[in-house]
Amino acid sequence: MRRYMKAEVNRHDMILTQMGAKIDVINSYMCYVTFDLDGTKISYVYNVNKNNKYFLERIEPYPEPAGTFKSEEDVIETIKIDIEQFKNAKNSRVFDLFVEINKEMSKTIRNFEDLYLYYNVPRECADSIKSKIKEIQDIIKEAKNNCKRVYFKKDPETL
Amino acid sequence: MLTNSHVYIAAIVFILTYAFIISEKINRTAVALLGAAIMLGLKVISQEYAFESIDFNTIGLLIGMMIIVTITKRTGVFQYIAIKSAKLAKGDPWKIILSFSIITAISSALLDNVTTVLLIAPVTLVITDTLNLNPIPFLLPEILSANIGGTATLIGDPPNIMIGSATGLGFLDFLFNLGPVVVIIFIVVIFILKLIYGKELSVDEEHKKHIMDFDEYKAIKDYALLRKSLIVLGLTIIGFTLHQIFEFESATVALIGASVLLVLSKINPEEILIELEWTTIFFFAGLFILVGALEEVGIIEAIAEKVVFLTKGNLFLTTLMIIWVSAIASAFIDNIPFVATMIPLIKSIGAMSNINVIPLWWALALGACLGGNGSLVGASANVIVAGMLEKTKYRLTFIDFIKVGFPIMIISILISTAYLIVFYI
Repeated sequence: MRRYMKAEVNRHDMILTQMGAKIDVINSYMCYVTFDLDGTKISYVYNVNKNNKYFLERIEPYPEPAGTFKSEEDVIETIKIDIEQFKNAKNSRVFDLFVEINKEMSKTIRNFEDLYLYYNVPRECADSIKSKIKEIQDIIKEAKNNCKRVYFKKDPETL
Repeated sequence: MLTNSHVYIAAIVFILTYAFIISEKINRTAVALLGAAIMLGLKVISQEYAFESIDFNTIGLLIGMMIIVTITKRTGVFQYIAIKSAKLAKGDPWKIILSFSIITAISSALLDNVTTVLLIAPVTLVITDTLNLNPIPFLLPEILSANIGGTATLIGDPPNIMIGSATGLGFLDFLFNLGPVVVIIFIVVIFILKLIYGKELSVDEEHKKHIMDFDEYKAIKDYALLRKSLIVLGLTIIGFTLHQIFEFESATVALIGASVLLVLSKINPEEILIELEWTTIFFFAGLFILVGALEEVGIIEAIAEKVVFLTKGNLFLTTLMIIWVSAIASAFIDNIPFVATMIPLIKSIGAMSNINVIPLWWALALGACLGGNGSLVGASANVIVAGMLEKTKYRLTFIDFIKVGFPIMIISILISTAYLIVFYI
């Protein structure tokens, strides 16, 4: 199996090199982590490599990059908190809606990227999208002030 | 103290192990190691004898060359050579097939076949994709060339490494005795491939231009490492040509080259060692123990007696039998276990009949290496390319391969037979 992977890497290497890329092939371990929270699958993927950089991403129930960490303890801690929060969130009556909204937001980012990269988008259109996003952000901030906080082990990073 | 039951156990374990290796139902390395472990567990052989049976010259040579190649390929030199050749061919399909076949044959003579194919096939897939062509007419000649080129030298193919190690025949012995016939076979095969693929492929100017747009210099990743690698590889090959004069085993030469390059490259050895084909190394170790057990209980000697009885100690008949049986067997089963078994057998034949066994070694090398071209499962290089194609929209089937490979294998063995008759028997 490793032979085929090597051959595949060699092929990618040549294509990308000819496109002008610099490629570093690093031996690493890819870890797939899955939790089953009463029927809801929460999955993560992270990469352990010799450079001590850990790329963590939540892939289910919706994709969300969690960033780069300097140690495996940080990765485990992030997953631990995330799972605790999801366990908590599962008790909410609007959990399904929460997942649905996040999926829609991810889809919206892709939609906007396609719009911008495939079409010549006028300034007014971009401004209009930006103002709608601002509206959503304001709703979130307003809700934060009016809703009861339920998780205290860690403070929110973006609110 | 060996008993009749040890003989039966050794024979049964050996036959079952080989049956599982051929069936490919279980990983071949796992089966070989299990077979060896059973021989030990049932006290057919002692642990001491088992370890003595492992040919560490073969193992050391394989490891040494794997280290040198693993470091050298990081420089991108193989990609550079392939792109340069494709550009020199100006995108002409047949000229690319020809130049890639020559590169593969020469590389395969100096490196092992599997490594050569792992380096050339990915580049070929990118080139054929750029030319919008079916890659099979390119890859099939490369496989055939890898197996033919590997036949020419001591280090080109594992059967030759094993034969060289067991007999003391050196790099120059292989080169001078097998090199000429390999060159003839390669030229004949190229002529046949030209008839098959020469007119079949055409490319428009637009696609040829894409090939000319490739920049071979982008492929070189580390010029300093490239210089060091090529110097060490060159010196190692010179070392192989001189190893008999200085009374060095071939593994010593390879391991000196490998360790010097490891130090000069300044790459963490862990990164290089993890890339080695350890499953192949352990497969060899398991096979050596299995065959060692057969020798210990006297089975090899008994078979040799039968062979000598059948051929009446006639060199002509024995040579012909070995080359053709090796070729047909190697076309359908792994040639490594086959050769591992044949080596002690030929030694015993030599001891019993007093015939000159040197032609028998050349017959075994030619049959086992060239036989790999007979079918898709005949050599690891063939299987790897077929596996790589499975990720594309093209398929290299057993029948597709045998239609081209088997006749070419038969022609190669006919030429080899004529060569052996004229010059050796």
